[in-house]
Amino acid sequence: MATIRIPTPLRPYTGNNGQVTVNGGTVGSALADLTDQYPDLRPHLFEGDTLRSFVNVYLNQEDVRHLQGPQTAVAADDTLMIIPSIAGG
Amino acid sequence: MLKLTDKLHEEIKSHGAQAYPFEGCGLLLGRMENGTNVVEAIVPAANTWPVEGEKPVRFQISSDDMLKAEMEAMRRDLDVIGIFHSHPDHPPVASPRDLAWATWPGYSYIITQVWEGEPTYSQSWQLLADRSGFVEEMIVETGD
Repeated sequence: MATIRIPTPLRPYTGNNGQVTVNGGTVGSALADLTDQYPDLRPHLFEGDTLRSFVNVYLNQEDVRHLQGPQTAVAADDTLMIIPSIAGG
Repeated sequence: MLKLTDKLHEEIKSHGAQAYPFEGCGLLLGRMENGTNVVEAIVPAANTWPVEGEKPVRFQISSDDMLKAEMEAMRRDLDVIGIFHSHPDHPPVASPRDLAWATWPGYSYIITQVWEGEPTYSQSWQLLADRSGFVEEMIVETGD
């Protein structure tokens, strides 16, 4: 089971867990398992079926957009990080 | 509520002054304790907004800097608890752009006004749970 590190403001939706272990062989299925475990988390990560524009996912510190996106393979000892894009005016 | 030392607040204000006339920005590291965001350290970042002429009214933190800040927080057993940025020659009030690109409720968004190159004062904001706007939060300065 891979591990997902949860950003601090989202921990109230994961029972205050900073890390969650998930099933799934790809980034997409791992995120699906995460939001199945914690449905209240879903609207903070997804807009409809797609990740919110400011939500970035890193696999072992590499942005999955530079890999195969949601189809990127995930192994049991991998760590995923959810990191927001920050911008403003 | 946002709690930070005078020294860290001065560092945030200085970063805004150094960035003038552009917006300066960075991350707050610390702990979320019973609804209070307690700042333990700051991580200044470059304003990587891609259009130079818009940097007085826009900021962006690169994904590389965000990842580095998250790794730094983990290394120090802290969390990323908020974002700081400056408003050159404008009040430190969360703008429509700040709202449009806001991330998650729970982060503190502290904004410092820099007036003609001199930092004046800061206000801090939190995104409402329904993402419809920002509400101001109290800033508590503590001694070192």
